[in-house]
Amino acid sequence: MSSTGTPIAPLIQVEGIHTFYGKSHILHGVTLHVGAGEVVGLLGRNGVGKSTTLKTIMGLVHPSQGQVLLAGQQVTDLPAHKLARLGIGYVPEDRRIFRLLTVSENLRTGLDRAGVTEARKQELLDKVFAYFPVLAERRSQAGGTLSGGEQQMLAIARAMMLEPKIILLDEPTEGLMPRMVSQIRQIVEALHGEGVAILLVEQNVPLTLAASQRVYIMEKGAVRHHAAASDLKVDDPVIRQYLGV
Amino acid sequence: MGIPWDLIIIQTVNGVVTGMILALVASGLTLIFGIMDVVNFAHGELFMLGAYMGVVVLATSGSFWLALVIAVLVVALLGAAMQIVTLRPLLGRDPLTTILATFGISLVLQNYALWQFGPVARKIQEPFTGRFNLFYLEYPYYRLLIAALSGAIIGGFWLFLKYGKYGIWIRATTQDRVMAQAMGIPVPLVHTAVFAIGAGMAAASGVLFGPLVGVNHMMGLDWVLKAFIVVVVGGMGNLGGSVLAAIFISLLEAYASIWVNPSQAVIASFIVLILTLLFRPTGLFVPTPK
Ligand SMILES: Nc1ncnc2c1ncn2[C@@H]1O[C@H](COP(=O)(O)OP(=O)(O)OP(=O)(O)O)[C@@H](O)[C@H]1O
Ligand SMILES: [Mg+2]
Repeated sequence: MSSTGTPIAPLIQVEGIHTFYGKSHILHGVTLHVGAGEVVGLLGRNGVGKSTTLKTIMGLVHPSQGQVLLAGQQVTDLPAHKLARLGIGYVPEDRRIFRLLTVSENLRTGLDRAGVTEARKQELLDKVFAYFPVLAERRSQAGGTLSGGEQQMLAIARAMMLEPKIILLDEPTEGLMPRMVSQIRQIVEALHGEGVAILLVEQNVPLTLAASQRVYIMEKGAVRHHAAASDLKVDDPVIRQYLGV
Repeated sequence: MGIPWDLIIIQTVNGVVTGMILALVASGLTLIFGIMDVVNFAHGELFMLGAYMGVVVLATSGSFWLALVIAVLVVALLGAAMQIVTLRPLLGRDPLTTILATFGISLVLQNYALWQFGPVARKIQEPFTGRFNLFYLEYPYYRLLIAALSGAIIGGFWLFLKYGKYGIWIRATTQDRVMAQAMGIPVPLVHTAVFAIGAGMAAASGVLFGPLVGVNHMMGLDWVLKAFIVVVVGGMGNLGGSVLAAIFISLLEAYASIWVNPSQAVIASFIVLILTLLFRPTGLFVPTPK
């Protein structure tokens, strides 16, 4: 991408962030990065702060210390809506479909931006409807009436409307049956093929190791381990130490 | 005693006319509550200021319609300023803080109006004085026009919410503020815009209603009280519910005043309010939650 010869800044760089909810100190200096077009897994037991890390990157909570850089630019204190416009897509763990909006309207919330021509809007819609034919069938149906799996697809499709450089994907396979899980995996691969970076939070270790290039493992609000996905196995001692029951 | 059909028809017309004006006031109130969880105690004063703006512009320009448009714009801008200065910093705080803030604003605005315009009620001349015969009454066309205009404003706004780009922004923000923001919707701006729209609707009702009663600094009180009843009965934050509740309550009062005097008829609204709170606190005119 850059032809200057200087090393390219990673797409997302999180440096030593400390995040609080009120008085409770949740993140204790999380540091990680995601390169352009890279799929990076973020693993850890329940409550270690994975979702909070994504929320902090998205600007939904602001860290009291540390910084978040987007393509080398300081974005730590920007509100979420600016970050969305700068190319960060967010798919939260509880999906958070606009329940009373139709499928089409849910998608439009991400399309009605400055500088998107009608033709481009149609292209983006055609693209997600090709990925998720079921959403095309249900385009006039209220989001709240979709099944869990369909809502997950809509949440991903909605984020794709922003033409993001990176998608923060929080437990996309939670509560889905195996066929849907493999569909989610295909989508992650397809997005990766298009050059979209993904920061993937998952409980499903095999899927994360298969879909990611690198993996971070968190414990108690900090990153404890960092490895190439190909160097880790599902029954690795490290995995057992940080994720085993 | 036979059924007084003529009275019932007259009161139906009256009820629908006041119901539509009330719906216009309550729409703004319920919209503001729905999107930012703020109970705007200054809403009646925006209605009152709208009426005074109408008086002032009408006196200088002589045009009722110009007065209506300017009052709406000025009060909408004032509403936007009020939201930015007092409510935006309080977003997400304890509801009590916004109640106190808007209550404070209502006192300031009432006293401002008293100081600026004095205690004597002003009159707005209706744009035309034609009448038609309704049984033994000469009924003013203007009243029907109020109902039609209020309906048109609410209907236009509903279409905007349903089909307009910014309408979708408003609905998305009302449903999930955080997710709306994550989709790139500038939520603080949407809040300000909704407050301005609500204020503008209140001002429009103030000007339209002005010719029927006098304009004075206390006129907001009665209306906002009724509008609150409507908002609760219609289901807090539910636009369609508020419109139905406004008409329902106004009709009820209108019919009640066939048999009792109007100040006793008001009791009907309170009975409806109490029954709603007791038996269906989410509102009468909302679908049963599944
Ligand atoms: N809004 C909040 N207010 C207070 N505490 C919170 C809030 N959200 C999360 N927490 C706490 O912060 C900690 C980290 O939560 P977080 O959601 O980031 O964990 P997680 O790693 O995503 O867990 P899971 O795998 O269960 O989704 C938890 O102890 C949680 O109780
Ligand atoms: Mg989580």
